[in-house]
Amino acid sequence: MLFSFIDKIKTKANRSRLKEKKYEFLFEEDLSGEYIVFDTETTGLNPKKDDIVSIGAVKIKDNKILTSQTFEVFIKNSCEMSSKSIEIHRIRPIDLQNAKTTECAIREFLDFIGSRPLVGYYLEFDVSMINKYIKPMLGITLPNKKIEVSEIYFDQTISLIPQGNIDLRFDTILKNCGVPDMGAHNAVNDAIMTAMIFLKLKKA
Amino acid sequence: MSILDQRKLIESIHPFGLLSRTTLDNLMQKIDIAYYPKDTLLISKNLPSIAFYIIIKGSVTESKDDEIQNVYSHGDTFDADALIYGKCEGRFVVDEDLICYEIKKDDFLELMQNKKVQNYFLQDFVTRHQQLKNYDMQSDFSGFLMARVSDMFLHKACVVDPSESIFSALGKQEKLKAHVIIVKDANEYSIVTDTDLRKHVLLGGADVKDEISKIATKGLISIDYADFLFNALLIMTQNEIKRIVVMKNKEVFGVLEQLDLLSYFANHSHLVAVQIDKALNIDDLKILQADMKNIIITLRAKGVKVRYITKLISTLNIKVYKKVFDMCVDAELQKDCALIVMGSEGREEQTLKSDQDNALIIRNGVDVKLYEEPMMKLNSHLLELGFPKCPGNIMVSNEFWRRDESGYKKLIAGWTQSMSEADVQNLSIFLDSKCVAGDENLLSSLITHLHQHFHQRDDVLAHIAKAVLNFETPLSVFSGFVLEKEQQNRLDLKKGGLFALVHGIRTLCLEYEITQTNTIERIKELNNKGIIDKVFATELIESFDTLSAIRLKATLEAKSLDESNYINPQSLEKIQRDLLKDSFKIINKFKKFMSFHFHLNMVS
Repeated sequence: MLFSFIDKIKTKANRSRLKEKKYEFLFEEDLSGEYIVFDTETTGLNPKKDDIVSIGAVKIKDNKILTSQTFEVFIKNSCEMSSKSIEIHRIRPIDLQNAKTTECAIREFLDFIGSRPLVGYYLEFDVSMINKYIKPMLGITLPNKKIEVSEIYFDQTISLIPQGNIDLRFDTILKNCGVPDMGAHNAVNDAIMTAMIFLKLKKA
Repeated sequence: MSILDQRKLIESIHPFGLLSRTTLDNLMQKIDIAYYPKDTLLISKNLPSIAFYIIIKGSVTESKDDEIQNVYSHGDTFDADALIYGKCEGRFVVDEDLICYEIKKDDFLELMQNKKVQNYFLQDFVTRHQQLKNYDMQSDFSGFLMARVSDMFLHKACVVDPSESIFSALGKQEKLKAHVIIVKDANEYSIVTDTDLRKHVLLGGADVKDEISKIATKGLISIDYADFLFNALLIMTQNEIKRIVVMKNKEVFGVLEQLDLLSYFANHSHLVAVQIDKALNIDDLKILQADMKNIIITLRAKGVKVRYITKLISTLNIKVYKKVFDMCVDAELQKDCALIVMGSEGREEQTLKSDQDNALIIRNGVDVKLYEEPMMKLNSHLLELGFPKCPGNIMVSNEFWRRDESGYKKLIAGWTQSMSEADVQNLSIFLDSKCVAGDENLLSSLITHLHQHFHQRDDVLAHIAKAVLNFETPLSVFSGFVLEKEQQNRLDLKKGGLFALVHGIRTLCLEYEITQTNTIERIKELNNKGIIDKVFATELIESFDTLSAIRLKATLEAKSLDESNYINPQSLEKIQRDLLKDSFKIINKFKKFMSFHFHLNMVS
């Protein structure tokens, strides 16, 4: 009770700070019944210093991942990419030639997600990356409901092994949920894999 | 990028790989991924299909009247028919949590406007099977085995009239640099080789002015211009000849030299054959055994059809048998007996050495005891050569399988009466007999006798045929494997499929008195007699070929003989897995045919 009350107050405060009226829809009640699973690829792991390189997102409706409506955007970046992240994401600077500016990309992303709940793996990081940009742009942070798959996984697994240490690494969850590894780790693939995990955990 | 990954996956699934780039790009825009937990019913009679599914992970079973028809897993697609015809007789149920791509019905039907896709989904079994096989071949091998005699360099043939003198014929031969002289008579050809010249002219005293026809050998061995090169190799090996005359439209066209052919094949099956003949003792033969295995491996890698490989190997094995027989049995005794091989060897279908199943028929009136010692020796030699011991002791070393003609007739009389399992088994084995040494007539007269005895004995025939249904439907074995991960994820090819086919065909041949022993030839003969139609015959042959091919793969990879019938379907290429499934479907169809034909539901 108390938490939801605090949440409400926070949301209200957040909404009051919104600079652009156009984005009121982010705060409206979601009636689509859909979820957004998203993932960002960044130049590093520090939201303060690093930048987003790409965003990938898919919608989930009922038991389907709507890959037909995949969202994928690459962002032009001022700061140099570390060779390490080039290796992981396989995004070379050349891939970013058709990329969009950060602002443009973020706006498209907001249009895509609307007020749907957000699902992700270590979602906190991705959300704070997005917040880093929208805070100065719109004055707000992402108000959407957030669902952390590793948390659902933890809750379901801990009931089986009460005192156990639960390995929450992405690959482990992937494997234990019997979700196929789609190969390359890029934003959209990761989002799709996360979506599969989510569907699986939700049904279980 | 990520869209690309998914595109790759879709592209790797036949027939989507045939689509153009733009069509595929368009298609990708329309595909969703869906998740269905275990036991979800996807399609049934009352639940029309709404999408075309491509499995990413998990499995789905299709059943009709509670009988499992098919199991789909990674990379498989279903069910085009349900979408195209708008109805479905079977039930598609998720067997293992399913993650799949979905192409919505309308999008799929739109895709069907594409001719290539349409062809694939609307074809009947045989065509699709052939197409998949060709595709399989293409992906692995060059068109090596597609090579025909006409592709080879052929030497000019030196053809002369029978009235030509030996001298002028030799002149012509020299001019053409030909190795042999072919004599053309009004209606047949004969041949003059260097051996003939040596024998008749140099040693036999024939004059060079004589007519050439005097020294020519009749019975020209030839091959058609359009025939497969591999058949040329087979004929050469069988007849121990070094060149073969090539015919085109029944006229001599040229001569194919063994040397050219061998360099083309780059293996030495003929050499092995010659070495077998030249072997003086058992040790010489032993050395050759390793070569035999190499031949199989080389030929298989080159994409040679399994039925040709097995034929070649059988030919070589028969040579070994003959040789050992010559070593063990005195010439005097040889003419009064026949050494026969039975089971898979008799059918010419064994690849690597399978159990020895052999027997000896002795002419009536000759003392059976005389053969005891030579046969013991023969058996021990074979064992030494690596022909494994028969667990059922069906070998010449066993008195039971070493008897005179009347002894076998008594045995046959017993078989027509008895219903015991052992007798049915012995009969089955005997039906596949092939004579490898000694007097062939001893065997053929026994087989005739056997056929006559089974005339009009539908009751016994039905009893024999019943064994076809002994083992479970292979596809349920398949699904058991998917469900329970037992049997170390493998299935038994022999029990699952080959046995039913081989045994069923054998029983039909007994009923219709067909003397062929090779399963494919038996099927062809059954078709000739009108017992099964052409389409079904082709289906059966293709299925048999597929199962044998996969079994050969298993045999080559198996560590022990016991393991050689097992295969893990997951270890197969996707296309092969499809072929295997299709083959099992045909086997099921064949089982139904047998049940109907012999009224098996009425036999207990």
